[in-house]
Amino acid sequence: MYGGGNTFEGIKPDALAGEDPIKLAEFEAKIDRGEKIEPTDWMPQLYRKQLIRMIEQHGHSEIIGALPEGTWITRAPGFKRKMSLMAKVQDEVGHAQLLYSAAETLGKSREQMIDDLINGKSKYSNIFNYPTFTWADCCFISWLVDAGAIVNQLANAKGSYGPYCRALDRICAEESFHLKYGHHCVIYLAAGTLKQRQMFQEALNRWWPPMMHFFGPSDKISVHTEVLMKWKVKMGSNDDMRNQFLDMYVPKIKELGFTIPDPKLKKNTDTGRWEYTEPDWEEFKRVINGDGPCNKERLEVRRIAEERGKWVREALRAPKAQYVTPLA
Amino acid sequence: MTLFTSMNSLDPRVNRLPIDKVANSSPKAALDQFGTFEVFVQAKEGKPFQHEGIVHAPNIEMAYVLAKETFTRRFTCISIYVTDTRSVHVSAMTEGTNNAYENINDSGASEPKTSYEIYHLLKRGKQHIHVGSVTAGSPDEAMWRAKASLAGEKQVFNIWAIRTDDIRFTTTEDKDLWLTLPEKKFRDASDYKGGDKLKAFLESVNK
Repeated sequence: MYGGGNTFEGIKPDALAGEDPIKLAEFEAKIDRGEKIEPTDWMPQLYRKQLIRMIEQHGHSEIIGALPEGTWITRAPGFKRKMSLMAKVQDEVGHAQLLYSAAETLGKSREQMIDDLINGKSKYSNIFNYPTFTWADCCFISWLVDAGAIVNQLANAKGSYGPYCRALDRICAEESFHLKYGHHCVIYLAAGTLKQRQMFQEALNRWWPPMMHFFGPSDKISVHTEVLMKWKVKMGSNDDMRNQFLDMYVPKIKELGFTIPDPKLKKNTDTGRWEYTEPDWEEFKRVINGDGPCNKERLEVRRIAEERGKWVREALRAPKAQYVTPLA
Repeated sequence: MTLFTSMNSLDPRVNRLPIDKVANSSPKAALDQFGTFEVFVQAKEGKPFQHEGIVHAPNIEMAYVLAKETFTRRFTCISIYVTDTRSVHVSAMTEGTNNAYENINDSGASEPKTSYEIYHLLKRGKQHIHVGSVTAGSPDEAMWRAKASLAGEKQVFNIWAIRTDDIRFTTTEDKDLWLTLPEKKFRDASDYKGGDKLKAFLESVNK
């Protein structure tokens, strides 16, 4: 489960100009009452557009997120870990299918989404543009990146769009073993040899900055998304999500005797908020715009997979196949 | 996108990809999209089939295979079935206290009669569930007959009708996948008990 740190475009002040005010009021009242919006219901164009963008990014993050972990399947330490990691990676790819389906009910075809991913037009979670040097990096993802994603996902599952919530419910249920598996892996490294402990400490040092980026830019600098919060598209501010993650996982990391590489990290007992070194948002922007250590490789691997699978798709394609938008 | 001749990846499998062979081929052409199929799952004996989502597939047999993998890989079920999205006849969606059956009127009977499966959406935000079958000469007639025999007391927000013959059901030999699922403990959170190891570790540190 990898949704998180979605990038939203700034919303123009006239974005709702063409909408019928009566229908808009009814739509907002429905969301206020906690009802779900279904594909055939009236919705503002902006709602449709932002939801497609968000669900699509989430789907792409599952697909691309499978790559840095998938790297270690062939070299997983032992048969048991290999089985678990394969099952986890298979789940992530399956989650992408569920998410693409939810986005499709809004009118964008899966093929168009895949094209936009390969052509670099769509974004995905920035953290997967970093490399997994050792098994410990892979364990960091399985435990802590998944944990961060779960914080976001549980919030999003309470959103307003029916098909997305249903996909997330299913994803969360399937997800139950991922986090436990990741923690299990890290406990074994922590309780292992000095070398194993060192391996995880080094992975933690490498992954902490992207992990802090994971929840998206600080509220101080991120684009205004009040209307998306009101419509229950975005369910919490980036800083709130980050804070919740730190609350839950900093103690667990420290319990294992590892050092989080941020001397300023501490919880302010008065405000209940975590204080930390401001993440480097310039690096975040640079990487999300394509200049990270693995952006090219990630997209190239996808593109080659698409290319090499072409003959299978063409052989299977029924001449009369006609695409209609799926139902729910 | 910049093409590069060597991936220089940390992943040996990526380094083995035949980049040269595919790097200069044409950009991905628009394919005709595979159609979508709606997937229904029966979780337990005695429970109704419930709509779960879709798969993309070139035909209904492949749709069945992919549905099994996508929707029943992790949790056991009794049975699943699939149908082409275009085979699902859909009533108007209602809200508030409007019952979807209020919009269903007698459109006249036609021949030949065949069997239709009927589904209700009983709560907005949830999924359609199977409520029974009727015999009718058209989808509209099926909904009209369902109004008489299946409408029930509860409010219905949406009705689906699918011709029984358009559904790919589960056969006995299809059930193999589910028979071995409970053995696959590595997909179960309970298989990852790290508590004892963690406790022993913490005790050794605090000595």
